[in-house]
Amino acid sequence: MKSCQTASIVTADASAQVRNHADAQVQTEALEPVGVQPPSRCDIPRLAAFLRRVEAMVIQELNKNWQSHAFDGFEVNWTEQQQMVSCLHTLGYPPAQARGLHVTGISWNSTGSVVACAYGRVDHGDWSMLKSFVCAWNLDRRGLSPQQPSAVVEVPSAVLCLAFHPTQPSHVAGGLYSGEVLVWDLSRPEDPLLWRTGLTDDTHTDPVSQVVWLPEPGHSHRFQVLSVATDGKVLLWQGIGTGQLQLTEGFALVTQQLPRSTKLKKHPRGETEVGATAVAFSSFDPRLFILGTEGGFPLKCSLAAGEAALTRMPSSVPLRAPAQFTFSPHGGPIYSVSCSPFHRNLFLSAGTDGHVHLYSMLQAPPLTSLQLSLKYLFAVRWSPVRPLVFAAASGEGDVQLFDLQKSSQKPTVSIKQTQDESPVYCLEFNSQQTQLLAAGDAQGTVKVWQLSTEFTEQGPREAEDLDRLAAEVAT
Amino acid sequence: MAEVEETLKRIQSHKGVIGTMVVNAEGIPIRTTLDNSTTVQYAGLLHQLTMKARSTVRDIDPQNDLTFLRIRSKKHEIMVAPGTLAFHFLVKSSFCFTR
Repeated sequence: MKSCQTASIVTADASAQVRNHADAQVQTEALEPVGVQPPSRCDIPRLAAFLRRVEAMVIQELNKNWQSHAFDGFEVNWTEQQQMVSCLHTLGYPPAQARGLHVTGISWNSTGSVVACAYGRVDHGDWSMLKSFVCAWNLDRRGLSPQQPSAVVEVPSAVLCLAFHPTQPSHVAGGLYSGEVLVWDLSRPEDPLLWRTGLTDDTHTDPVSQVVWLPEPGHSHRFQVLSVATDGKVLLWQGIGTGQLQLTEGFALVTQQLPRSTKLKKHPRGETEVGATAVAFSSFDPRLFILGTEGGFPLKCSLAAGEAALTRMPSSVPLRAPAQFTFSPHGGPIYSVSCSPFHRNLFLSAGTDGHVHLYSMLQAPPLTSLQLSLKYLFAVRWSPVRPLVFAAASGEGDVQLFDLQKSSQKPTVSIKQTQDESPVYCLEFNSQQTQLLAAGDAQGTVKVWQLSTEFTEQGPREAEDLDRLAAEVAT
Repeated sequence: MAEVEETLKRIQSHKGVIGTMVVNAEGIPIRTTLDNSTTVQYAGLLHQLTMKARSTVRDIDPQNDLTFLRIRSKKHEIMVAPGTLAFHFLVKSSFCFTR
């Protein structure tokens, strides 16, 4: 018989106590709007004398300035120049990748330090009832593990689109294959679900194509969620206390009510709804938005539209017809639209015909049409800092960066995201850290690309070049 | 009064000028063609910079004084004519006539 015993365990006691302590409270203050200061009345003769004295010199300086060539071609670089585009992070969630899920949506949060992705399948079939995930990585955290997201939310149905809240860094909204819209708080790992639409009469009957956060009219610090789906409905939801997303406004797209500004293919009998596949709001008019449709034609719409929609779809709030103008169609369904942050009339659309169209809201045919891919184009986004730059995600696995200043025919940089040419489904620029671009692909990987400096710094007079481009290409 | 307005209008309508403002010795704007929040922001910031520039010039040579200040940035140029009052004006970038 054998017996064993551990050596005696040594223990010691010590106690510690804080001798001095201090209390402090910290709270942020809501930003006060800048006070309006009326220009004070000073004595006019002194002002007149001053102006008399300086006027000649001022005019002389202005003339010299206008004629001077001293600074022609002079450029100052304040930051180190990055010449190449490089991949900073390759992120993925292995359980989602093992199930063959694609990255269907990507979003940066309001501080620009967290990137979240939605997993689902773009080709539906039997995958619709499969559990999927929403994952978020905090890129500023030390010890970032690319295969271990800082937050993971399990979702009972495939998530097809994602959008972070514009001011709350941890709130994110997602649209599901089942037609539901959910809002999560990623800072609460035990119970992240904040609000859901549930499956009511108001909910979408088709998969949700895109969700967007909008400021509430009148309360600029509170936000609502807008969702669009291929059932033709555009719905505005408000989160109420019980965890329910309640419908506040709704719109329905019906073929008979589309403005006849351009000839459209005849819809087969019986199909009156127009499926919406993408939405983008204008940065200049908060009620104006562009919808991309399954029919391939973008629609200019307004939240203020008043005409009732001729639809028999049940709804707790009256549905209105939002479309005001129809643009010339692509050769296939549109997958993505993006409004320029620098020009009030320009927007881009991209779809299954592999073309990107640049439209002006003032005319139906596009200003230019560029073929970027022989397969589908899944996403197109304007750069938030360079007025003439946009990025597109292609079905051949490339992220293509276009600089209209350099070339209006071919992309300036084409980044190969996937090695086996599987498609890139979504991409988003980071508006806080403008050198970052995140893209998600069919292999379930999110790659964060660092762009070269030429894509992140606005050159002199670029905004004027954009205006000139819009004016000269329009007939 | 009319003379003041005319002079200001002459300068404001000069080629390339985006906005003008007149600021008193305490940094409070007296006349401006820009909107209020922009005016307040520019007046506060430029007043400090003008005082600093003037003290720099006088520290180097006490007999000298600042006559004009120009700040050139990527998008435009700010010109300051100092004095007991100070005159700021904003000019559109003017290099590169031809491409």
